[in-house]
Amino acid sequence: MAEVKEIIEKKESAFSFGKEEMKLLRDPLNDNNPVTVQILGVCSALAVTTLLTKAIVMGIAVTLVTAFSNLFTSMLREYIPKQIRMIVQLVIIAFLVTVVELALKAFNYPIWKDLSVFIGLIITNCILMGRLEAYAMANKPWRSFLDGIGNGLGYGLILIAVAATRELFGKGSLLDIKIIGPTSEYFLNTNEIWMLSWYTANNLIILSPAAMFIVAILIWIQRSKNRKLIDIS
Amino acid sequence: MHSTSYVIKFTLVMTIIVAFVLALMVSGLKDIHGENESVYNKKGILSAVSVQLGKDVNAMSNEEVQTIFSKQIEQKVINTKGEELTPEQIKEETDGRSSTAEQLDMAKEGKKADADKLLPVFVFTASDNKKYNIVYTRGKGLWDEIWGYIALESDLNTVAGQAFDHKGETPGLGAEIKDNKAWYGQFTGKKFYNTSGEFTSISVVKGGVKDKTNQVDAISGATITGIGVDEMLERGIKYYEPYFQKLKSKESIN
Amino acid sequence: MGDLINIFVKSAFIENLALSYFLGMCSFLAVSKSVKTAIGLGLAVIFVNALTIPLNWLIDYYLLGEGGLFGMDLTFLRFIIFISTIAALVQLVEMVVEKVSPSLYNSLGIFLPLITVNCAILGASLFMITKEYNFAESVSFGLGGGFGWFLAIVAIAGIREKMAYSNVPAPLRGLGMAFFLTGMMGIAFMGLMGIDPAAFK
Repeated sequence: MAEVKEIIEKKESAFSFGKEEMKLLRDPLNDNNPVTVQILGVCSALAVTTLLTKAIVMGIAVTLVTAFSNLFTSMLREYIPKQIRMIVQLVIIAFLVTVVELALKAFNYPIWKDLSVFIGLIITNCILMGRLEAYAMANKPWRSFLDGIGNGLGYGLILIAVAATRELFGKGSLLDIKIIGPTSEYFLNTNEIWMLSWYTANNLIILSPAAMFIVAILIWIQRSKNRKLIDIS
Repeated sequence: MHSTSYVIKFTLVMTIIVAFVLALMVSGLKDIHGENESVYNKKGILSAVSVQLGKDVNAMSNEEVQTIFSKQIEQKVINTKGEELTPEQIKEETDGRSSTAEQLDMAKEGKKADADKLLPVFVFTASDNKKYNIVYTRGKGLWDEIWGYIALESDLNTVAGQAFDHKGETPGLGAEIKDNKAWYGQFTGKKFYNTSGEFTSISVVKGGVKDKTNQVDAISGATITGIGVDEMLERGIKYYEPYFQKLKSKESIN
Repeated sequence: MGDLINIFVKSAFIENLALSYFLGMCSFLAVSKSVKTAIGLGLAVIFVNALTIPLNWLIDYYLLGEGGLFGMDLTFLRFIIFISTIAALVQLVEMVVEKVSPSLYNSLGIFLPLITVNCAILGASLFMITKEYNFAESVSFGLGGGFGWFLAIVAIAGIREKMAYSNVPAPLRGLGMAFFLTGMMGIAFMGLMGIDPAAFK
């Protein structure tokens, strides 16, 4: 009898959601952010942040892939041969990325066209390999799944922050809806009046180097608030 | 450590499962992908006559695009001598890949020698029975390729509408050729030939338009994309000259 | 031949994988602390890039393409095949280098596993597909792309070494400054964009 009870308890705890699990979700958003603290997955964070729509789609795609690759790897962790561990992990990731790509191509063709190679580059997003090696290979499936969601969201958060800044000040719009400044000099003679219509969109911000500056500024803000993250070396 | 035979077995099972699931997904979604692609291309073509259609092409449903395209567009493929090709000839020239103008792989055609190039023409019949020839041109922007569909009035000289697109120009800068209505709208009403019938093309100029019949203002901050548009119009429209001449002589006989 | 030089110059300078597409940033930022290690990683990237891109081209053309060995369109397997090729090749190179030249292995060896997940390599393979290069062009693109990445990481490492003597605000030290420097370097490289590569023919 006692044994049965223990098993039931164990089964419950497999999907429980307590403080520990909450920490898995919350930590990557700030203290252990994959982009600004662990410097993982920076590449795509810069290329897809010219428009907010692209960044949101990318954030969702990465969250899905991290969550499920963590889940599958964790489920298979005892069966994966150690010698070919890396390639097996890469195949799992590449498989999920292909699934996401095929789905996106079916549901939103223009966005798929826009993101082009950057969907494929999710495979080499270091967040994925990093989480598989550091977490999923040593933990139970449910927790690995949450860890994946947390890290995907942490990445998505930075992506959205950078993209919102770039699109707003570089193009004067958000989600392709005009917010500030005239659309361009050709619109000056129309009657449309926008917020801050004297503002001229800053071309530099839309160019890729500016994404670097924005991430640097985010790091600056985060580290001056959270002093324990400061690099002492 | 696992034994080598286990490693091989594991790899085989994994490969089979992965390939099977993906193959299933691809074949399941094939029709949707094909439909999406064709609608995307058709929207690109129809955008050139969006003023004549009186609708925003991007807001149209897939069915609407398909019906307008099949009812109001007549497709032709011509060569640089201005001769129209039959579907069989097109198939032969493209190794069986395409039989209509919309299926032409324009990136491949661009790489061919001038004499072998195939050019698409889409003749659009508006609701008032006016006919517009939509021609195509392709060139290089800052990052990657750019292309455009130009709809011409029946005089085969005046621009009636236009739609540009690009593979990877910067949003807010080069990508304005597609996004900024105020910019591409400048082309409407411009002429490719001057009053004495010489080909002048339409040029993209910096610092103010001097000749209102064949110049448009450049996008500030996107110099190279502007040069690209300028170049592709001058080169691309010239390929169609023999076709225009044939059309004109046909009309004068009638 | 002119076209090949054109592609080399374009991929090394004008469309620099690191500084205009910002690919391979994870290892770029982590390893650019000293010039010596930067040179090691840079050389490894040139090496692997120059090998994998033509190899992936051959695989794509002869196995996955419609006119390939299986006679059907298998391009949906591209991601999986490309990344496996890269991982396998990196491992192979590691083994060969270890046997043939232990001294080269000592300087390159530790960087090789890092390269598998370097987006510059997979990115270059995918760009090679979207740009529709032929085989010779893909060789030139692989060499040029790797060389450009090498130049970029060595340049940044040089600047970062000198940064050690500067008084940087504490929260920006290390990583934050590396981001700023890379961004500025990116702007400097944008100055090369107006160059017409045809001039190198």
